[in-house]
Amino acid sequence: MELFLQQIVNGLTVGAVYALIALGYTMVYGILQLINFAHGEIYMLGAYLGIIILAFLTAAGLTAVSLPLAILLTIIAAGAICAAYGATIEKVAYKPLRDAPRLAPLISAMGVSIFLQNYVMLTQGATDKVFPAVIPAAGVTVHGVEITFLQIFIMAASVVLMAGLHLFIMKTRMGRAMRATALDMKMAGLVGVNTDSVISVTFIVGSFLAAVAGVMVAMYYGLVNFSIGYLAGMKAFTAAVLGGIGNVPGAMLGGVLLGVLESLGAGYLWPEYKDAFAFLVLVLILIVRPQGLLGERVPDKV
Amino acid sequence: MLRKFAVLAAAIISMAILVSACAKKGEETIKIGIAGPMTGDQSKMGMDFKNGVQLAVDEWNARGGVLGKKIEMVVEDDQHDPKQAVAIANKLVNEGVAGVVGHFNSSCSIPASKIYMDGGMPMITPATTNPVFTEQGYWNVFRVCGRDDQQGKAAALYVTGTLKATKVAVLHDKTTYGQGLADQFKSNLGNSVEVVYYGSVIQGDKDFKSVLASIKDAGPQVLYFGGIYPEGGLLVKQASELGLNPACISGDGCIDPKFIEIGGSAAEGVYLTFSPDPESFETAKAFLAEYHKKFGPHGPYSIYAYDAANIMLKAIADTGSTDGKAVAEAIHKGVFDGALGRVEFDDKGDNKIANYVIWQVKEGRFVQVTN
Repeated sequence: MELFLQQIVNGLTVGAVYALIALGYTMVYGILQLINFAHGEIYMLGAYLGIIILAFLTAAGLTAVSLPLAILLTIIAAGAICAAYGATIEKVAYKPLRDAPRLAPLISAMGVSIFLQNYVMLTQGATDKVFPAVIPAAGVTVHGVEITFLQIFIMAASVVLMAGLHLFIMKTRMGRAMRATALDMKMAGLVGVNTDSVISVTFIVGSFLAAVAGVMVAMYYGLVNFSIGYLAGMKAFTAAVLGGIGNVPGAMLGGVLLGVLESLGAGYLWPEYKDAFAFLVLVLILIVRPQGLLGERVPDKV
Repeated sequence: MLRKFAVLAAAIISMAILVSACAKKGEETIKIGIAGPMTGDQSKMGMDFKNGVQLAVDEWNARGGVLGKKIEMVVEDDQHDPKQAVAIANKLVNEGVAGVVGHFNSSCSIPASKIYMDGGMPMITPATTNPVFTEQGYWNVFRVCGRDDQQGKAAALYVTGTLKATKVAVLHDKTTYGQGLADQFKSNLGNSVEVVYYGSVIQGDKDFKSVLASIKDAGPQVLYFGGIYPEGGLLVKQASELGLNPACISGDGCIDPKFIEIGGSAAEGVYLTFSPDPESFETAKAFLAEYHKKFGPHGPYSIYAYDAANIMLKAIADTGSTDGKAVAEAIHKGVFDGALGRVEFDDKGDNKIANYVIWQVKEGRFVQVTN
């Protein structure tokens, strides 16, 4: 039982991260019907920025004064920079192709992904970067289950961010505009919604969430390299499809489910097939329920 | 149409000129290939290779090169990927190098060795420890380091003899090196030890908590890991986060400062099998001083790469030619006194003098604990 709970806790931590990244995929798909393959690289950029900013704050002496404040600042700063990246990518690589055939922006997205990977490799080096050891590995033991404070932080931060996103989409004017654009972009434009700014906001919010996930993962594993965005992006994409692509609560559910499934599969079956479980789930979902667990529309692109 | 043809012809001619210019330049130097993971998570090891060979080549060139020609290094990156290793092996053969120092990973050296043999060139690996490498019966393969059957046995003896463990968990990274080493360790444990967990992780993964939680449930006194430092460092770190604190022991793939950097305080006390500390060798003093001056702290295999390059170059100088078979013959027969001390090869190409001792991480440094 302890082992089972331990696997669940570990799975929830990873799943929370998948969910945060999956939200960016699903929001962009919901509005543009575009699978933004560069999204995983935004997460990777966030992880690198986390390391750089925290090293900077440590050098400035802030980490010694207040660690939580330094971490909060790091997350916000990395999120803000990545949001700018996301918005810029949309303007440069996707907006000119908005009326082009559907395949064109998809290929453009892959190009951006390759560009960002190589850009980070050339500027930051091809070796692993180790996160500065400022976060203590301390934790609590509940009924024999070890939970580090970092795991608690990751889960709590994810819940807060997801709740915030839900409120943003459901209660604000911009959120309503986003839902309208997702339903029918042309019609939303006709009734006065500025769809261009809605799309920008979608990319900004999605990139911010991915960057937060990146910083938290960098803190959790303490190790970052330029290629982590690929696998994380693929897993998050799987999570988005699992929940129903285009569906925001679906991405949250899909991410958490995927994390737990992986953890249980690796823990009880074969650890060496951990990554395979995610994609096995993807195949099964596409066969049995192509619209995803909570999805309504069938993804007919890609 | 005619214009298109003219452009194409011009392009072909200009390329042909470029190629012939390269070939001409090649005749003036003797090329030595260096192959290893130069980028990616294991790039530290590749860079150690390159720096070690660089030092040897610089010294030879300062003395006027070999056979009256300057030595040129051709560095290729295998990204610790067997497919890439085969590709760059073909590239080095086409490039016409006189011999190769490399590769690092067993999974790369073994497939590449066939290509070098077919290309008629010797290869000396500074670090490939899997027994298969020299058991293939190839005439062109040599290793300066030891073998995993020696290494696995040394670890098993320490675990049963000194640590007196009865319950052991064994993990590996499913690579030729990692799995080979883990299996050698396991088979040398004897009957008094129960292997309570045997499994593998994915190379390049960052999250090992699921498998570690299962290991914790099995309750081993010792955790053995056959693999390289990026996974090794994360394993010890995540194990301690899970409250899993057995004695950890691993092989030469983890003996790198990055292991301690990644593992943090959890790396403290981890045992590793490796050859004796070169800092205690009288013969290595000059090499270490020069290396530190040029490249900073030495890696575990810098000195092996340096000796491998020196052996290759000395054999070429002794033979008086770059004929692969003759050079390999000279390496087989020769006695080489390098920074590691004396190196001699047996008929298979193994270093006759290699042995393994136990190291431990103490206060953030690797310290030799047995003789």
